[in-house]
Amino acid sequence: MALPAIETEQLTKRYGHTLALDRLDLRIEPGETYGFLGPNGAGKTTTIRLLLGLHRPTSGRAQLFGVDAWRDPVVAHRRVAYVAGEPFLWPSMTGAETLDFLGRLHGGVDPRYRDMLVDRFALDQDKRVRALSKGNRQKVQLIAALSTRADLLLLDEPTAGLDPLMGKAFEESIREATARGQTVFLSSHVLSEVEATCDRVGILREGRLIDEGSLPELRHLTAQTLDVTFAGPVPVLPPLPGVEAKQTAPDALRLEVTGEMGPVLCALGSEQVAGLITRQPSLEEIFLHHYDGSAGHDLASSARR
Amino acid sequence: MRRALNDARVRTIGFVALFGLTAYADTAAYAHAYPTLHSRILFADSFVHNKAIVLFYGKAYNVLTAGGYSAWRVGGTLSILAAIFGLLGAVRVLRAEEDGGRSELVLAGAVSRRMQFTCGLTATMTGALALGVAEFAGLRAGGLAAAGSAFLALSSVIAVPVFAGIGAVVCQLAPTRRMAIELGGGAVALAFLLRVLADTVGGAGWVSWLTPLGWAEQLRAFTGEQPVVLLLPLAATVGLIVLAQHLNTVRDIGTGLLTSHDTAAPRLRWLGSTTAQAFRLELTSLMWWIGGVSVFAFIIGLIAKTTASGGIPRRLQQELARFGTGGVSKPADYLGLVFVSFVLVVALFAVSQVAALRHEESDERLETLLSLPVSRRSWMSGRLVLAATAAAAISLCAGFLSWAGATSGGANVSLGGLLQAGANCLAIGILFIGIAALLFSLLPRRGTGIAYGLVVVAFLWQLVGALLDVPRWVRDLTPFAHLGFAPAQPFRASDLLVLAAIGLVSAGAGIRYFVRRDLVGA
Repeated sequence: MALPAIETEQLTKRYGHTLALDRLDLRIEPGETYGFLGPNGAGKTTTIRLLLGLHRPTSGRAQLFGVDAWRDPVVAHRRVAYVAGEPFLWPSMTGAETLDFLGRLHGGVDPRYRDMLVDRFALDQDKRVRALSKGNRQKVQLIAALSTRADLLLLDEPTAGLDPLMGKAFEESIREATARGQTVFLSSHVLSEVEATCDRVGILREGRLIDEGSLPELRHLTAQTLDVTFAGPVPVLPPLPGVEAKQTAPDALRLEVTGEMGPVLCALGSEQVAGLITRQPSLEEIFLHHYDGSAGHDLASSARR
Repeated sequence: MRRALNDARVRTIGFVALFGLTAYADTAAYAHAYPTLHSRILFADSFVHNKAIVLFYGKAYNVLTAGGYSAWRVGGTLSILAAIFGLLGAVRVLRAEEDGGRSELVLAGAVSRRMQFTCGLTATMTGALALGVAEFAGLRAGGLAAAGSAFLALSSVIAVPVFAGIGAVVCQLAPTRRMAIELGGGAVALAFLLRVLADTVGGAGWVSWLTPLGWAEQLRAFTGEQPVVLLLPLAATVGLIVLAQHLNTVRDIGTGLLTSHDTAAPRLRWLGSTTAQAFRLELTSLMWWIGGVSVFAFIIGLIAKTTASGGIPRRLQQELARFGTGGVSKPADYLGLVFVSFVLVVALFAVSQVAALRHEESDERLETLLSLPVSRRSWMSGRLVLAATAAAAISLCAGFLSWAGATSGGANVSLGGLLQAGANCLAIGILFIGIAALLFSLLPRRGTGIAYGLVVVAFLWQLVGALLDVPRWVRDLTPFAHLGFAPAQPFRASDLLVLAAIGLVSAGAGIRYFVRRDLVGA
């Protein structure tokens, strides 16, 4: 059996009195696309820093392809490419120079693939980094990482700052990478980013991994929210499976639908509906709703069906 | 407003102590060394007309009185320090905020650009007030009259607002804080150079009116005060501030008016390793350092011949002997004395290189680098070696160019002697690279600030120690005391090797600790 791309064992990190990561156990096989979700401050960036050997674990260990991340970072990084949440580059260098520099430090990139990526992301290579917007700097980082065709891609909020068009370009590139057998580790607090590309998801909260599984298994994450406004007072609706209702105003109702949408629309269709807004809940809302207080309890009861 | 004052606290306290101490030490030493009028007259005749000394301290108007002497010695040095203080204060306030992004936050609030600007400058002026008071106290403690002391303190401190104004203008021009400091430093150097020209070259006395440091002299504290000269610095300050304000409203936050082109064809050389890339990025700055040091060295070499003048009283020779050289009667002796400042410059350069290292970490670019197959050890050692090589280049230029200047000026000094002087600079440079590297790895956030402080303390320790009567072992605590000031004194090769070895060991320890610690952001 091949070595796992990422394996952490009771990985813990303490900064002074703050426990940032609490006995994290992860195992990600080569070729997987793994989404690492959590609200801000959950410990996602800390995990990545420990995986990259930038910070030292208080206890436990992290391994990339069997190589200890803290003791042997140089060996580990030969098979890894990293994209940070914010672009930290040299302001006086141009995009082309940065790509060349980072590529050489990695040990070489595929120049044709890099040029293709530059076109796909529409990057002006001759502009100095200081003249690029944040989104464009992010592109430089993305291209630098993707063009290495590294076995493991560590991405920390990679589409923050990218416009939707470039977001699509990003998804396309990730799909190509996955098709080639590269492992992708995507850390984010934006659900849609993860949904589009990942086949497995882990949820981090206050330093602990509280839930993990494939997206279909975690179906409760994909609940849709319906904000319904009625012409008159809120009517009494029959109880429906997978639907939670909450009255938000004398004439408005909020429905969280995890089950079938059809019966809900039928039930609403026979009422006086003045307005209807549907959206996906943000991760913050999911956390507030599902994981408030009893962290472990909800996942046992509501997840596996 | 309070924030601006708060931020400057440490620096101000340091400068205040510096001012107070120097004022006291110099004044007290004079009274101690030249108690009789007769000795003072001898001193005035020989020493004061000695061009080489005048270069350092400026022109003296009347050294027969303690007051006149203080005006010359104390006023001369402190006005340069005041200039630096003003510059740093202005740049820190106006530029560091912007580069940290905090400016945008503040400006988005109720504070207008104008108010932020004024608040910052006012904080620096308050610091200037503190400096003036410290100097006044020092002079009084040394036994000088109140009115004269106050005027002298005022004339030294008057450089602060002028250079704060220059700092403000420079901040509008330079795109980064570092460049602002470099430009401003150049302005201070230029002002100093003009004063040197005015004081040492016969017939060029009028040049003194062109430089703020010259105005401090023209105020003539203790020797026929000319308060009307105060109008000049006041006018200059107001003019500079108005200019800076105008430029401030014209430019964009976060950049300067002197930005270079934003697009360029790729230049792909020197990108094969982190050290090569660092060299490429530091190159322009390095060229300026080397250029500046070379010019100064050449000029100092040129005027070395003029130091020969007989009849320096024994007392004075003793004082200079304590300071470290045998005296200043020969060009070689003079050059040995003057090289102390080059040693200081190289030490400051050394720390600035390690500060650049810290910037890579605090700006989180180091994260980008270390996520690649780049070892911490090779990154840090590569950059430290680069720093040492650069320090060697500067030291070599200082030695060689001063010899070239001396030979052109007709003095008879050996190249070997001056290269040894350069070696002194290099050894101290290596020492401080090592110390700064160790501090960087142990105390990431404060390390470089502490390193700069150590350089200043080490330099002053030797300076003050020579003037006051302290036991030898106390004076030997500073590395500067272990240098043999070639070509005036015998070259102390073994001492240099020890200093360099300490530097290397510290650097090694610094690298070891760096490999083990977490990366720390800003």
